[in-house]
Amino acid sequence: MNLRRFVQREKKDADLAEEIESHLAHEQDANAARGLSSEEAHRQAHLKFGNPRATRERIWRYRSVPWLEAAWRDLRFALRSLAKTPGFTAIAILVIAVGIGVNIAVFSVVNTVLLKPLTYPDPQSLVELMNTGPQGSFPGANVPKFNIWHQQTNIFQQVAGYDWGGAGLNLTGNDNPQQVQGIHVTADYFAMFGAPVIAGRTFTAAEDSPNGGHVVVLSYGLWKTRFGSNSNIVGRTIQIDGQPYLVVGVIGRGFVTEPAGDLWLPYQFDLASRDLAHYFRVTARLKPGITLQQANAQLRLAGDQFRRTYSSDALAPQDGFGIASLQESIIGDTRSSLLVLLGAVFFVLLIACANVANLLLARASARKRELATRAALGAGRGQIIRQLLIESLTLSLTGGFLGLVLGFVGVRLLLNISPGDIPRLGENGSAVTLDLNILLFTVGVSVLTGILFGLVPAISASRPNLAATLNESSSRSSIGFRGGKLRSFLVVSEMALALILVIGAALLIRTFLKLQAVDPGFDTHNVLTMAMSISGDRFQKTAGVAQVIRDGTERLKAVPGVTNAAAACCLPLQGGFGVPFDIVGRPKGNDSSTGGGGYYSVSWSYFDTFKIPLLRGRTFNEHDDGASPGVIIINEAMAKQYWPKADPLKDRLRTGVNMGPVFVEPPRQIIGIVGDTHDGGLNRDPRPTMYFPVSQMPDAETALNSRVAPLWWVVRSNVDPHTLVAPLSAALRETSGGLPVAHIRTMDEILVRTTSRQRFNMLLLTIFGGSGLLMAAIGVYGLMAYSVQRRTQELGVRMALGAQASSIRNMVLRQGMALALIGVVIGIGGAIWLTRFLASFLFGVKAWDPTAFVVTPLLLSAVALVAIWIPARRATRVDPMTALRLE
Amino acid sequence: MEPKRPPAAGDILQGTLDMLILRTLVIGPAHGHTIAEVIERTSENSLDVEQGSLYPALHRLEDRGMLSSEWGISENNRKAKFYRLTAKGRKELAAATSRWRQMTRAIGLILGEPIK
Repeated sequence: MNLRRFVQREKKDADLAEEIESHLAHEQDANAARGLSSEEAHRQAHLKFGNPRATRERIWRYRSVPWLEAAWRDLRFALRSLAKTPGFTAIAILVIAVGIGVNIAVFSVVNTVLLKPLTYPDPQSLVELMNTGPQGSFPGANVPKFNIWHQQTNIFQQVAGYDWGGAGLNLTGNDNPQQVQGIHVTADYFAMFGAPVIAGRTFTAAEDSPNGGHVVVLSYGLWKTRFGSNSNIVGRTIQIDGQPYLVVGVIGRGFVTEPAGDLWLPYQFDLASRDLAHYFRVTARLKPGITLQQANAQLRLAGDQFRRTYSSDALAPQDGFGIASLQESIIGDTRSSLLVLLGAVFFVLLIACANVANLLLARASARKRELATRAALGAGRGQIIRQLLIESLTLSLTGGFLGLVLGFVGVRLLLNISPGDIPRLGENGSAVTLDLNILLFTVGVSVLTGILFGLVPAISASRPNLAATLNESSSRSSIGFRGGKLRSFLVVSEMALALILVIGAALLIRTFLKLQAVDPGFDTHNVLTMAMSISGDRFQKTAGVAQVIRDGTERLKAVPGVTNAAAACCLPLQGGFGVPFDIVGRPKGNDSSTGGGGYYSVSWSYFDTFKIPLLRGRTFNEHDDGASPGVIIINEAMAKQYWPKADPLKDRLRTGVNMGPVFVEPPRQIIGIVGDTHDGGLNRDPRPTMYFPVSQMPDAETALNSRVAPLWWVVRSNVDPHTLVAPLSAALRETSGGLPVAHIRTMDEILVRTTSRQRFNMLLLTIFGGSGLLMAAIGVYGLMAYSVQRRTQELGVRMALGAQASSIRNMVLRQGMALALIGVVIGIGGAIWLTRFLASFLFGVKAWDPTAFVVTPLLLSAVALVAIWIPARRATRVDPMTALRLE
Repeated sequence: MEPKRPPAAGDILQGTLDMLILRTLVIGPAHGHTIAEVIERTSENSLDVEQGSLYPALHRLEDRGMLSSEWGISENNRKAKFYRLTAKGRKELAAATSRWRQMTRAIGLILGEPIK
């Protein structure tokens, strides 16, 4: 092995020296035996042997690897020369570490969310079934669609339906009922995802059919925490919502679902169902060799099949089916937001590189004589460039590994402020781990930055004018024309990049402020919300649900501090279901008569509790139940859109049109108009919304609601609602016969959560923009300070000739600000081009928002002015006599 | 690892020295000075090289695993490094010897010497 020879060569050389000594001694012995004097014997022996040093060198050379030897020598030299300037080295490493650290922090999230494949076997062949239409495609399924998709056996190996675990289930049967996420799945689910079964089995086809019995499969987490990893759990029954369920299996630890679930139940579809409401999602595994295009083509035909099998009304002519990669579907719109952040940190890194390159240029010009001496002694340009590159690589790799540490601290901070709706991060970001991708990224970025900031200074330093440099006295060497231009260019780039970042940050800050100013449409203060899972048999009929709500409301109101209480299927700001409607009496099938809107089933005190204003008519009362005529309340947005001139209170609505038999009901009279709430988030305009009295729903609809969503309890108090959590949940548990509540949050907290994504983006971009700005300021300060120092003599001469201090100061300011302003102008141009990528993150501001584009450059110029002011003042303090004596 | 290739014509002298060293060690282990003397004597001083040039060859052969070495005490009661032929070295000697014979025969033919 070359390398072994290489590393052992010092030891071997010592050995060889001894061997040669031994050889000479033997020869000397032989000579002495021939009768030569000891001096002559010594001389003859050496003569005969030749030069021992030459021998040793020959063997040394043979043992060495030339490039490695040179690199090793350069590295040691680099370390020595960096150690000689600890201040420079520390600053450079720190700047690189910060630049690389933020990149690693963001990249490790990008890596986890976007790059790592799903943890299922052969994840590329997993696809999500989508509904396509002119407005885009979205997931969601009902039994008729599932049937048709399931029949496409020439493209799909397996097709499985499963829900989001939205409603929740109650584990009962001991003193400590617990609300858990139960995912309903069809029989193929486990096989399709390759779920590892560690005990028992998964569902059979027979168990996944109506009347298939009560069976359950447990997740590893639930098995461990609730059942103490009991190895005999399979075959036992557990209580879910008061019913016995047979445990048939346990799934292993590594099985990750999105969102996470605690247990699985068979869906037990009635395949003859014609319900058209979407309440679950469907994933399929493509057959080997089937491409997305082929599958999509086949699914277009499946749309016609669906219309033939069910009815042509069940699927609008322009709508159809399609698929999307499951990974893409899970990632969703997180991608664009992460990519914007990645772009922003890349800018930070570029600024850091420009900064370090500037430091290196300054250092190189201070080392001009050293480099010229080396060149004069015969070092080639390549050798000098190599030497300087190894120095910069030493800096960047050290900074990179320090950045890895910073990045890992940073990513934890980042996950702490993350909005919680980024998929695939695991519990508390546990899925974000150090892996090969991140190590490769670190090394790659470090080497790249090392070359990026090292190459230009190295090349410019390797062209010394030998005679001139060596003749110059070290203090007089002026900043070279080339070097000066290069440094100015770097500073201009830094300013431009920083400006782009800060404009981006300013746009997001403005967005966030605008969002904060949006009126949610109700009073969010002192409102507590609690979710109760009502999946049990008692809640399959409207009367049962209405009874629990009536009793619960009374009990809640009796708790001291409570001023009002209500229950509903869904909360404002969180969004809910949608439902189509026809306005009775208008010609069918056009935009003025038919539409879709938000669907809320609410108890009568809902509007009072939330303080949603009643604009016209009346709200619900306790008598709006199954025995009285159907009524409905609409919001202002709906009234304005569909009754621009007419009076909605005179009209009736037929809802749930074409959604299957569950939703068939007589038309409802519009009895009131209430104020708008922002359901899709504060950044969306209120959409038309319909409120149904929860006590007046058809039984089948109530059963569906109970299955897919929890019941939300809402309490308004005149004290801090957090203090009421214990008595309120106790009251609800009592009236509901022992059901627990979960997801206990105040409406203020929900409000904060709705803007958390914007807050997250804003915070990060502000941090990145701030650090970019700081680095750019340091860069411009460094350049001007350096040029003032180099021009001490010139300034001295000027002052000796009578220049005023103020004119000297203004000259330096003018030169510095010229650079800053060029940077600002370029930055504005870049920002106009780049902020378009931010457009989808903005609310209430344009991507070319004049405020951001005026205030930010002013801010940046002000910072630059401060940074230049310091060296400018120093310039005025040059003492002409001292400066001239330097001559 | 050293690339394995048949020795080219230019390596002939190098190869010769290697072969001579190996040949010397067939009799038994020896240290550098002994090897140098034996080669000098048996070649009737016609290979007039500096003794120092022996050592790069020795070290290269050792690196290739043809020789092994250890420190010991010489006949003069001095510390010396003894080289020993390895199995691999023996094989190489046989191969080198036959290559040498072929070569000298070929050269002999060209120079018109009678075939023995």
